Amino acid sequence: MDKYLKILFSFLMVVAFAACSKDAPIDEDGLLVTARAECFVSNFELLGTDFVTVRSKTAVIDTTAQTINVEVLFGTDLKNVYPQFSLATDCKLEPKIVGKMDFSDIANPKTFTVVSGNRQIRKPYKVIVKYQ
Amino acid sequence: MRHKFQFLNYSIFLVSFSFIIFTSCKKEEGYAIPDPATQLSNDCIKRTLGPNIVSLPIEFAYAMALPKSKGKIVSAQVEASIAGATGTYLENNSYYTNASGVDVPVRVGSPSVNKDNLTSVAFNVDTNAATLRYFYVVPEEARGKAVSFTFSASSSDGATVSYKMGPYTISKMDIKRTFRVSNNNDSSYISIADMAVYNKNTVAANAGKIDLIYLYRATPAAFTHAFVSPAADAQYLPGITLPAGVNRNTKIRKVFNLQDFNLARINVGVFIDDQDFQEINLSDEPNYAIGLKAEAGTWVETADGKYRAYIFLNSVNNNGSAVISMLRYPLQ
Repeated sequence: MDKYLKILFSFLMVVAFAACSKDAPIDEDGLLVTARAECFVSNFELLGTDFVTVRSKTAVIDTTAQTINVEVLFGTDLKNVYPQFSLATDCKLEPKIVGKMDFSDIANPKTFTVVSGNRQIRKPYKVIVKYQ
Repeated sequence: MRHKFQFLNYSIFLVSFSFIIFTSCKKEEGYAIPDPATQLSNDCIKRTLGPNIVSLPIEFAYAMALPKSKGKIVSAQVEASIAGATGTYLENNSYYTNASGVDVPVRVGSPSVNKDNLTSVAFNVDTNAATLRYFYVVPEEARGKAVSFTFSASSSDGATVSYKMGPYTISKMDIKRTFRVSNNNDSSYISIADMAVYNKNTVAANAGKIDLIYLYRATPAAFTHAFVSPAADAQYLPGITLPAGVNRNTKIRKVFNLQDFNLARINVGVFIDDQDFQEINLSDEPNYAIGLKAEAGTWVETADGKYRAYIFLNSVNNNGSAVISMLRYPLQ
């Protein structure tokens, strides 16, 4: 009988310790902070209100100059577009994209900041849009 | 003493655990075959899905039966709270579904008769079970109101039964399907208010009501099929000289993959309803939509704020024409 009680007690202790172990660090957005230092944009897309691309060709991403050059189709309504960024693993983007955005002020390109997985490196990327 | 206490604890645990196991395995109540109906009975379903739109039919299937020993069905009728428009009828065929899944009609009565709010069928065959389809064409006077239906049947033994359906709210939307637009002044002026298309000869008389111009341009490649507001920038109206008075500034939003069932008439269970028109915000949208494709659509709001509409492109032809369908919702 004692043997069973000991096994049960040991099991409960393991569960209790596992539940109380220190959590991995998370940032203010509830995202996991990791050891990764990579910090770059790997792909960029721009969609119209119909969720079809408005690019006339693939966006050119310069990770050294930290720019994204994108050429859009004739007639694109840049006041209502949805940007999409692909980032290096564990990175996040600031500001967050929560819906359609206005890119119509071509003379003043929008800037988005990529933050690395360890949250130590921040790289601002300028999105330069021009018409076809 | 200590061992006795432990044994007691262990026993309580075992008994509790066994109780949970046994109660969870308790046999469910068995299914009982219902007693067969002993008199005339009926049932009804609404077969049409989506919004109920003026001029379109709402379809029901009304089933009635009685035991063979009790006699036969004599008549069936439907009373609508608002009389149906022309084309409302109760089928005089009953249907059964064969092994291939095909609905097969069987004639059971004379063609239906409409009198005021009533639509009725007199049976002329000896049958004790039938399912009749009822097609209620929504009349103009029902727009924005609720409509209810009372289905009833009578049998040769003097019994009658009835079944209430509804109320169903009738949409405020208007629908117009499959009208052709074509390029270069030929049927290219679209009026949302009239739900009509005008050409170079008829546009002058309706200049103040033109909301959109249909265009096709092969170059630039992004242009192709387009709906452009008369007030749009000249680069979106290439080669177009607008007739006097055609100057409205219509808001337009391009969408793709919104194949409304009533407009597209393909088996996609997507319906645009009044609520969609009430909630959409088109205030920031441009006054042109270029690069349209077949099965694309555009949300539109007229410059006077009277109407919102959804225009669907059923098909496009690169000779410079398209077939479009329209749902329109009055805002005022």
